Amino acid sequence: MIAAALLAQSDNGFFRERTDSCVTDNGFCPGWFFGHIDRYTTPFLQHVFLVVVSVGIGFAIAFVLAVTAHRRRWLVGPVTNITGILYTLPSVALFFLLLPITGRGNVTAIIALTGYTLLILFRNTLAGLDSVPEDARDAGRGMGLTERQLLWRVELPLALPAIMAGLRIATTTTVGLAALAFFAGAGGLGEPLEAQKAFKTNVVFAGGLCVLLAVVLDAIILIVQRFMTPWTRAA
Amino acid sequence: MTAPDTAQSEGPSATPAEPLEFRAATKRYGGATEPAVDALSLEVPAGDICVLVGPSGCGKTTAMRMVNRMIDITEGDILLGGRSVRDREPAALRRDIGYVIQQVGLFPHRTIAQNIATVPELLGWDRSRREERVRELLDLTGLEQEMGSRYPAQLSGGQRQRVGVARALAVDPPVMLMDEPFGAIDPINRERLQNEFLRLQERVRKTIVFVTHDIDEAIKMGDRIAILQRGGKLQQYGAPEELLMHPANDFVRDFVGADRALKRLALMRVRDVNLWTPDEVPFELELDADRRPQAWRDPQGGQSTPVLTVDRDDILRDALSDLLLSETQYGAVVDESGRLTGILSVELIHDFLAPEAVGSTNESP
Repeated sequence: MIAAALLAQSDNGFFRERTDSCVTDNGFCPGWFFGHIDRYTTPFLQHVFLVVVSVGIGFAIAFVLAVTAHRRRWLVGPVTNITGILYTLPSVALFFLLLPITGRGNVTAIIALTGYTLLILFRNTLAGLDSVPEDARDAGRGMGLTERQLLWRVELPLALPAIMAGLRIATTTTVGLAALAFFAGAGGLGEPLEAQKAFKTNVVFAGGLCVLLAVVLDAIILIVQRFMTPWTRAA
Repeated sequence: MTAPDTAQSEGPSATPAEPLEFRAATKRYGGATEPAVDALSLEVPAGDICVLVGPSGCGKTTAMRMVNRMIDITEGDILLGGRSVRDREPAALRRDIGYVIQQVGLFPHRTIAQNIATVPELLGWDRSRREERVRELLDLTGLEQEMGSRYPAQLSGGQRQRVGVARALAVDPPVMLMDEPFGAIDPINRERLQNEFLRLQERVRKTIVFVTHDIDEAIKMGDRIAILQRGGKLQQYGAPEELLMHPANDFVRDFVGADRALKRLALMRVRDVNLWTPDEVPFELELDADRRPQAWRDPQGGQSTPVLTVDRDDILRDALSDLLLSETQYGAVVDESGRLTGILSVELIHDFLAPEAVGSTNESP
């Protein structure tokens, strides 16, 4: 659907009709934005798509890594190092490194963005699992829970607050990084932002949409967390 | 309460207790020269509380944890109901054995009812059967039904420990393991929980392995006591009276302490004594409509003094201590609901101690 929208969006005249003086002076004109809000719809949806898919894949990978490393402690060091390197690479450099392999488009952007989420999600999930009280674990084993049951019924639920905290940080960070995804040809709000960066209205509102997206996604995760962890509010 | 549908109701206990036997059970850790538990052999008859007691590092907890294979046996064997625990799959074995630890280990994210229903859930009991059992166990352990919907963080330490016991009893296991279950409770509540637990044990009659480092608790709780020395070496195994009257060696003598004669007071309960009637006291005891003691009244002067009440399930040692602390000669003995059942006096306790204490030591009145 998004790919279709992308094709339909022709580049010519994206920011042409600039007639009134506020607009021709590159000023701050909210009226213009609300008149042309449809121009931001596709980049915004692309942005949401990039963030949700990257964090989703990142979480799936980090979750498996953390659960594995939780039982096989020797994995903690290597996994932290590798995800740490991915986290430090400048994203633009990573886009360009990947271009010859995966080409321009969503795949390149998603691979790079996913790489950035791994360290945060891995470390938070692991910290959550490690924070489970030892006596709860001992009682669980003593009552005859298998290691698998202990993980799914005791350890993971108790790790949820830390896991959700990791998801919130990763999501917010990825919203920011996805503004660079247009370098990889994946669109997003960075594209209109870059296209008319001298036009204040454009910069403020494209940037503002990024912030809005980060705030809304953060709030959604927070609400889901409150719903999933009722015991944390029982004093 | 009558249970019309027996399939739905477990009652306090339907499963008969099973005997437990340690047969030269040994635990050796790789790299250690001395075993942690050294060829421990002892038999616990069905329905008895066996207390493992000794200084820290004596292997008492290790010995207990070998029963449900939380720690694997290196040599020897442990038989549960005549069957080796080594032949059983650990998770299945553990579901058949109640498990209570000092820190309780309730699951913070599950309600009290869900905590209690942990093992029934693992065994696939249906919802109505689980709920019925949770109601029963809350009753049995003296917790209010409404506690069921709370989270562990909302309970006091004593309440959490009761939930721990309820959870261990959930599927009515024939055997229970308890590792310092009252160790983290303040002294006053500990005494109450101990009394409650003994009352509960009279109804459920489980075979229990009870670990403690406190000899007074061992004497109070144990039908049999095993005293262990460092390295899991058994020093003496027998009834509390036997340990107090005839310690097998210097280690046991030191461990039970110089106040052995006084400790015998811990073997008797207030209800075991031939209590006085209120007429034998030179004061009048005021009672309310429910026969709850209110105050002592001096028949001459007519002035009232506060009355000390003693739980009939208390051990004599605690009752004497209460009498001495409140500087009074007489205590009104009450049952669980606070109704008068008799009068305890310092004189009565003295008479109880006197005849035998003279025999074993040279203390005389």
